[in-house]
Amino acid sequence: MRFTPGAKVRARVLDPDHHIRLPRYVRGQVGEVIEAEGEGPLPDDRARGLMPPRVETVYAVRFRAAELWGTGTHSVTVDLWESYLEEVP
Amino acid sequence: MGGQSGFGPVPVTEDSGAFHADWEARVFALNAVLRKRGLYNVDEFRDAIERIPPGEYLAASYFERWLMGIEILLADKGIA
Amino acid sequence: MTGTAGHEELPVAARVRRLEERVIAAGLATDDELDEVLAGLFADASPVNGARIVARAWTDPAFRERLLADGNAAAAELGFAVSGYRLRVVANTTQSHNLLVCTLCSCYPVSLLGPSPSWYKSFAYRARAVREPRAVLSEFGVRLPEGVEISVWDASAETRYLVLPNRPAGTEGLAEDELARHVTRNGLIGTATV
Repeated sequence: MRFTPGAKVRARVLDPDHHIRLPRYVRGQVGEVIEAEGEGPLPDDRARGLMPPRVETVYAVRFRAAELWGTGTHSVTVDLWESYLEEVP
Repeated sequence: MGGQSGFGPVPVTEDSGAFHADWEARVFALNAVLRKRGLYNVDEFRDAIERIPPGEYLAASYFERWLMGIEILLADKGIA
Repeated sequence: MTGTAGHEELPVAARVRRLEERVIAAGLATDDELDEVLAGLFADASPVNGARIVARAWTDPAFRERLLADGNAAAAELGFAVSGYRLRVVANTTQSHNLLVCTLCSCYPVSLLGPSPSWYKSFAYRARAVREPRAVLSEFGVRLPEGVEISVWDASAETRYLVLPNRPAGTEGLAEDELARHVTRNGLIGTATV
């Protein structure tokens, strides 16, 4: 587990030609880790039939609407595999 | 899909139960059995649905997309 | 639930039948297996299950704590074997409201909420819930006070969320089973207040 609750993380800008469970609207955006949810096989690998798939920690990451959309006071929490995230220095 | 504009109001009263027609139930069952048999996993299925050309994707109903997803995977795996 | 297509043959229905025939001919499924799926479908899945969990949480503070800490274990206490996903229950308060969506597909805790409603799978809901939840909620007739902060949960991995609504005022004297009848499926998704 690489990130702890409270850590600031950036969702990577990834745009592969296969399935990825990284919603477009968070790519490149900075959010805060809320919790680690446990480990799961990476959908990118499973979608391509790569055996065995990489297994990674999944994190609930909270983004502010104002940063995602330029407006709004709500938050959006997205569940993201570890390799979808990078540290914010 | 998240954040895209132009889809209009949410069809809040559309709540017809699981299926609108018998064929939708048949598609659901086909997917369940093919996955149980190990022909493909859920991520391959989602990947296949995302490979539907965007125009067709947006024009299709929910279970029409499932149908196209299964057809794509059967073609991938060389099942006539 | 099924059989509503009637005798009018839709092109898509014919296409499904052809697909079914191909799959059966290839030995990948049998008629019996397909029928079995539909027979067992949603047998135990119902929003009554989610409502029972909520009513217990309203009447038993210790259960509420356990539910918020570990949804699967707490659901199991009531006899619901939630498997295949991690259950995370998010509680509304007087200052905060939770709303669930799956923008990537239509992930949903079927066993606790029953089959998902069509609107949950609609492009409009999937697109807009994360961007303008207040506008979406108003289309459901829900108007939250200005100061209430909305948390949207986009179920993009293998956690399934369930909203624990606020217990409505005036229900103090009610027993758990009566309380459960107040809880709606939309309340468990966050598109209703209870």
